[in-house]
Amino acid sequence: MTENKVEALYQERLERYTTAIKNGKPDRVPIRFSIGEWAPRYAGYTLQEVYYDLEKQKEMVEKLMSNWDLDTIRGIGFGMIPPAMIDSMDLDFYHFPGMNLAENQSFQYNEKEYMKAEDYDEFIANPTEWVLNHYLPRISKEFDSPGSYRSNLALIKGSMAMQQFAGQLKEVNQEISRNLGFAPAIKGITKAPFDSLGDTLRGMKGVLMDIRRRPEKIKEACEALVPHNINYGLITGGGDTTIPVFAPLHRGAYPFLSPPHWEEFYWPTLKKTIEGLWEHGVSVTFFAEGDWTPFLERIAELPEKSIQFVVDQTDATQAKKVLGDKFCLIGGVPTTLLSYGSPEEVEECVKRTIDELAPDGGYVLDTGSVVMADARLENIEALIEAGRKYGKY
Amino acid sequence: MQEKNKEFVPEPGTCLSWEAKKAELEEVPGKEEIVKTSWDGLDKQAYSFIWWFVQR
Repeated sequence: MTENKVEALYQERLERYTTAIKNGKPDRVPIRFSIGEWAPRYAGYTLQEVYYDLEKQKEMVEKLMSNWDLDTIRGIGFGMIPPAMIDSMDLDFYHFPGMNLAENQSFQYNEKEYMKAEDYDEFIANPTEWVLNHYLPRISKEFDSPGSYRSNLALIKGSMAMQQFAGQLKEVNQEISRNLGFAPAIKGITKAPFDSLGDTLRGMKGVLMDIRRRPEKIKEACEALVPHNINYGLITGGGDTTIPVFAPLHRGAYPFLSPPHWEEFYWPTLKKTIEGLWEHGVSVTFFAEGDWTPFLERIAELPEKSIQFVVDQTDATQAKKVLGDKFCLIGGVPTTLLSYGSPEEVEECVKRTIDELAPDGGYVLDTGSVVMADARLENIEALIEAGRKYGKY
Repeated sequence: MQEKNKEFVPEPGTCLSWEAKKAELEEVPGKEEIVKTSWDGLDKQAYSFIWWFVQR
């Protein structure tokens, strides 16, 4: 394809996708898909090779996806996790193929209670300072003695590795758009404050115990996190008001928390974070993995078009009924189907999902959750082909 | 050095904003806007580096 044709294709796909995510009706249902750990083996690479070398990720996308007629992809960079930074800081909380794992092992997150209960007050008073001076030394074996030669070196190398990775990622994304015409799906990241607290700081066990033992501290910490989660989304997304910020949401899925606990601890500060980003014109892809059916009425209180709601195990009919007038819906195809189903079952599921969620627009076809490493290529291709076949308005 | 290490609470979105740094300087003889743009740009990158470890 000539450069002009690819540029025209890119603009057409961008228009299709951005119309849908604003709950409008484009020419056809946009198709979004993520590159991930399912891909390297089909392109002849190991997991380690593509994690460490973004150029190989670009080649992998070009090998596998050049002839795919989809609109937008996400996942280049495999979650924005720079292996060189993990290695140079010897981070305890991530284990990667290479220094810690065999070349084709999925990366592991080593969850611990890195933040102790007695740290709450200091964290609430000065979050950024606490993270740099107290949290980083606990998660980084090379940075465990701030001020020492090894620690100073770890900080220099770690930040250089991050910058290097970010620069390479930007170039690779631009080349993929330029060569294949795929529009970007997301730009930047934010989280629910309760997840920021529970995922990486207190850990799941710690934060769930805190609900019983020190509920007021959770609430104070989450309130302290709100402006940081807003700013993190703005900074990592570059303030882009066209492409949404991505919010992977974890403990908010039922039944991690009971509905009363969800109301008290999870929802208020997530709502504030989303509203804070929307005040800047930035929408959020509400990546609701799991089942969020009990909470749909509350989610419906968010400002119109401020989110795109991803349907995983949430009741799709209810999601359409409660949220469909205000927000774009994404997903609805179970990721397990791509691993354990057949192409025929995938096609049937896509048709059913489009029939249910796509009328009147405001829908993007995708899986409802992360595509696992054992997803089969023929099923992925069946999803995309079915999306084009049944997705015309 | 002790003055710099006194309790300092950066605004969300910043680590040490240009405004905070400027308060420590007697004057800025050159074009302040150029320094500010450079300083705040790098400060944002430092902020996103620090908070990356939490926002995983």
